[in-house]
This record gives sequence, C-alpha cells and structure tokens, in this order.
Amino acid sequence: MPARRMTFVEALVEGIREEMRRDPNVFVLGQDIGPFGGSLRSTLGLWEEFGPARIFDTPISESAAAGLCIGAALEGLRPILDISFGEFLPSAMPQLVLHAPVVHWLTLGKARVPLTIRTKVGEGPYGGHPQCFEAWFTHVPGLKVVMPSTPADAKGLMKSAIRDDDPVLFFEHMYLYHGVRDVVPDGEHLVPIGRADVKRPGKDVTVAATAWMVHRALQAAHQFAAEGVEVEVLDLRTLAPLDVAGLLASVRRTGRLVVAHEAWKIGGLGAEVAATVAEQGFGYLKAPVVRVGAPHAPVPAHPTIRRAFLPDAQDVTDAVRAVLKYSA
Amino acid sequence: MIEDPKTAVAMHRWMVLSRVLDEACCQESAHWFPSRGEEAVPVGTFYGLRPDDVCAPGYRGSPIVFVMRGVRLEQVWAGALGKRTSFGRGRHFSFTAPIELRVLPYIAGDLGPIISQATGTAFAQKYRKSDAVTAVSFGDGTSNRGDFHEAVNLGGAWRLPIVYVIQNNHWAISMPIERATAAKRLADRAAGYGIPGVAVDGNDVLAVHAAVQEAVRRARAGHGPTLIEAETFRMRGHIAADTASYRSAAQVEEWQGRDPIRRLEERLLAAGVLSAEEAQAVWAEAAQEVGEAKAAAQRHPDILPTDLGLDEIFSTPLGGA
Ligand SMILES: Cc1ncc(C[n+]2csc(CCOP(=O)(O)OP(=O)(O)O)c2C)c(N)n1
Repeated sequence: MPARRMTFVEALVEGIREEMRRDPNVFVLGQDIGPFGGSLRSTLGLWEEFGPARIFDTPISESAAAGLCIGAALEGLRPILDISFGEFLPSAMPQLVLHAPVVHWLTLGKARVPLTIRTKVGEGPYGGHPQCFEAWFTHVPGLKVVMPSTPADAKGLMKSAIRDDDPVLFFEHMYLYHGVRDVVPDGEHLVPIGRADVKRPGKDVTVAATAWMVHRALQAAHQFAAEGVEVEVLDLRTLAPLDVAGLLASVRRTGRLVVAHEAWKIGGLGAEVAATVAEQGFGYLKAPVVRVGAPHAPVPAHPTIRRAFLPDAQDVTDAVRAVLKYSA
Repeated sequence: MIEDPKTAVAMHRWMVLSRVLDEACCQESAHWFPSRGEEAVPVGTFYGLRPDDVCAPGYRGSPIVFVMRGVRLEQVWAGALGKRTSFGRGRHFSFTAPIELRVLPYIAGDLGPIISQATGTAFAQKYRKSDAVTAVSFGDGTSNRGDFHEAVNLGGAWRLPIVYVIQNNHWAISMPIERATAAKRLADRAAGYGIPGVAVDGNDVLAVHAAVQEAVRRARAGHGPTLIEAETFRMRGHIAADTASYRSAAQVEEWQGRDPIRRLEERLLAAGVLSAEEAQAVWAEAAQEVGEAKAAAQRHPDILPTDLGLDEIFSTPLGGA
C-alpha cells in the first residue's frame, strides 16, 4: 500500500477527511474547528473542503453538543465531536457515560449511537490542559475507548471509530500531536478497535503502555537491549474493551509485566490490566506486576514540578529492573 | 366557540384515556409518576404532529403520547407491569418510549439530557433539509438544569426546528418553583436566548395546542425554536405513594377548580359539540379499554434472567467494523 510520512495530527485529519468523503452523514462539531482549524490544528483543512454544511463551530456548551450528537445519531447521522481538551469531558459527563453507551442495549438494538468523541490529553508542547481521565470511561459498559501512539494507528483507528456503530472515545495525546512524521498508509487503512499491538518484540519483560508512554517504553527497551535484556513493548491502543487475549499472549511469552501510563496510578487503567493478568494469567507470571503512573497529586503547572510529577522513561526503566529481580 | 371541533373531541378522548390509565397505574405501582391535572400539556403539545416529527415528552404523563403515536395500551401495561413484551424487555423504565415511532426515550434517570438530545434530532432534521420538527417537554424543575440553558441557547443560535415546552406544574418533588428561581415567568427565559417565549394556560388544551402548532409552523418555515411555558399543577404527589404533606391544601383546592378535562367538557357541551351522554361514553370506553388492556398484558410472559443481554451491549463487534 502506498504511504506518506505525516504527523500524528495530520494522520488524524486525513482519517476524518477520507471518512467524510465516503459518507455524507459524517459531520464534525466542536469549538473553533471551522476557519480557525481546531485547537492545536485538530481539524486543519476540513473547513476548506467541507464548509459550513458539514463542519459546525459550537458555543462553549460541551454538554449540549454531546447531547445533540446523540439525538443526531438517533436520526441516523454519524457525528464526530471534537472536545478541545480532555479536561472538558467532565462537562459532558451525563451524555457520555449515562446516555450514549446504553442506547443500543436499551433499545434491543433498534437504535445505535455511532458517535466519535475525540479529545486531547496529556503533556504537550504548551503544557495546558494535561489531565488524563481516560480510565474513568473504561469503567462504563457500552463505550469503546482508544488511545493510539503512532500516526499510522491514529489514522487507522480514527477511520474505524467513525465507521463503528457504537460510541468511541478517542484520546489524542498532545505530545505526539506535532511530533515526528511517520509512515502512514494511504486510503483504506483500518486499525481494528479492540486489538493491542506489539510495537517491539521481546522475551524477558512486557511493558504494556499507552500513548506517549509507549515511546518512553521503547526508549527504555532500547537501553535494555544493550544489556542483553529484551523488553517487549505492547501498545494497548484500545483501552476498553481491553485486548485481554493480546495481553495474556504477551505475558505468556515474557513472564513479567510492567504497565505504564501517564495518568494517575491509583485507580488507573494499570490496575485493571494488572488485575486481569492476575486473574487469568497468574501461572505465566515470574514476578509481581508493577505499575508506572503519576503520583496521586493534582497536575502541577510549573515545568519543574511538572517534570517531577510526570512518569518518564526512567520510571519505566526502574520498574523493569524491579520485575527482573525475580527469577523463574 | 370551538374553532376545530374534530381536534377538540379527539384531544378530549386522549385526555380522558390518559387520566384513566394514569389512575390505574397509580393503583398498580406506588412509584408511578401521577399526571392527574396535567393532561392538557402532553396531549396539546404532541397531538397532530407528523410521523416524521420527533416527540420527546417529559416523563410525567408521557404514556398517552406513546399511545397517540401508535403504541397499543396493552404494551404500555406490559411496561408498567414489567412484562417481557415491554419496549426494552425490562431494561428501562416504562415511561421510556419506542424509538421506532420517533419518540425519544428517557435513556437514563437523570433529568435534562433529553433536552439536548431533542435539539440533536432537530439538528438532524435541518441537516437533512427536511421540514420535520422536534417537540420536547419537561418540568419546571428540569428547566433549572444547565442542560436546558445550553440546549435552548444552541437551538436558538442554530435556528433549529424545535419547540421547547416547559410543563410548569409548580413543583419539583417538594421544591416549589417560586423558591427555585427568582424568575416570575419561565417563558421570559426565552429572551435570554433570542427566541420567542410564550406563556400559555396549561390547563386549556386548546390553548396549549394552538401555541405549539404556531411554534411548529415557525419551526417548519425555518424560523427556529420557540419556548413555551404551559402553566399547570401537579394534583397528586411526586409519585403515587407521596402524600405531598409539604404543601397547602388550599393551593391544591384552588387548582381543583381548573381541571383541564372538566373545562374542555364544559366548553364542548356549551358549544353543542358533545352531549352529556357522549362525554359519559368517552369515560366508560376509556375505563373498559384500560381494564381490558391490563388484563391482556397480565397474561404476557415474564422477564427472564437471560434478558440481561450481556452480548448485546455493542452494535459493532470488536476487532473490526
Ligand atoms: C439530574 C437529576 N437530578 C435530580 C433528579 C431527581 N428527581 C427526579 S424527578 C424530580 C423532580 C423534577 O421536577 P420537574 O422537572 O418540575 O418535573 P415534575 O416531576 O414536576 O413533573 C427530581 C428532582 C433526577 N432524576 N435527575
């Protein structure tokens, strides 16, 4: 398949553009997504191609916008809601957790909500709105939650999310947004929802990570390679429903598991991953599962304490060393 | 004078049926939300809408709207009795509706979100360039939620084809509207969103219907939303079991004299549209229909543990669209 190099956000926009060309029922709404081009250029170019019939700038009304999407979906449309930053998701919580996820089940399949909600989280170039709330949404039945780490996955998962007949919450990490250009396949490139991906194979330790932490884990894996330790980096990609089979297969290969995410450790996705492996893959484990995540403190603003707060490659390295101490 | 006797007679029948059904459901369930005295709002609002229009009735008194849209009484009873034949097979409450008839369900138990969702069906109607409209009704208490304010503002900004109807029954459980807001008239809130606000006697079904139909015409013509406040009164407690001891008997008595069904009957009789015998017959028929429907629904199968539907959560299976 022919491919081009593009940034994470360019890949996201390409995925949206292709799906909008394909299906006239797909439209985008959100704040400053029209002529402004979206916060951090999240929708750059869409206004120029699709204009006011398909691209809708909303007032600052996250809750109404989310509810509007559900109503529009019940009438057969396929909305893409651009919530500028994950920190604004709580403003739309009732629609996102009580309403959108249950429609299909509640109506015995007579109605569905093919809604894609995209939002930016995590540490970014400007440091604003960094909080990572993705774990909250993995607790809710009926929601699919994805969080890619590469431009190719960003495009492929975006296309799958838009075609999916269920609500999909799409977390876009801000540090990756305008990062390195990477190879992205042209056209019909669909990454299935519900499948993790081995980003680097290894036989000694699995690091299951999300978004930016995938890159931190790859960095750590690279260093361990010099010591002869093979770290497998498993990009979870879909956080809900978890790819339990993919996770167990990796742990079975390596016998050791570190889970790494930028969100708070307590009550985070890592807890679910660790518990799942403890329940279903205990026999594979040669060491206790170790989690890497942020300390249980509010996210600080100043770069000095922000650096102290954020989990980094060193934290992954320390965790890997901790699980390596146990021998079979 | 009654301008459109056919419509008036039809709405009379629906209101009587609503009253009889509601009383019977209150007998059946201590948790039913009684609608006695408020029938003119759902009937006047949702009567006469087209099949491609979307109805989003507030929960109190909504079953009659389902019946007006074509649901059989027996199925309403199946919901009230918790039978397997209910709309959601026991997955949601009986005051939620069959989506295939373009009646928006109460997806969850929190009040307010349906106002935004109805704004969304209106958005879709406009997106598709159809002249269909959406009508949504909700309580005075719900109109204090942010959902109301965000949705009505958005509907106004985008000139969406929707009619917002506040069923102001003066009470939100034990909270009187006078203590919930300093606004004197809830219809005045429309001014803040740049749309017309209309206050109407919510115990006069003809007035409610006329106001809503005027708003529907505006919406169909592309002139955007209207906010209607229909002033009525919650004659019983919040739920059937609620004795409403927190309010004065005098207030209830005062509203007793403005019963919407009796008022319409008196007008129909005075105008010679209906005879006393015919009015009697409407009540008798309603009682019979409701009784028969209940008896039939009682024979419906019960809900099974397997109806939990664990494999029906998602529409698209995992691993690929
Ligand atoms: C968001 C939310 N808050 C509180 C409640 C609890 N509650 C259920 S009914 C009700 C009263 C609603 O009053 P109103 O909107 O005026 O409608 P009415 O009951 O008078 O018909 C309340 C407070 C709820 N269901 N949802």
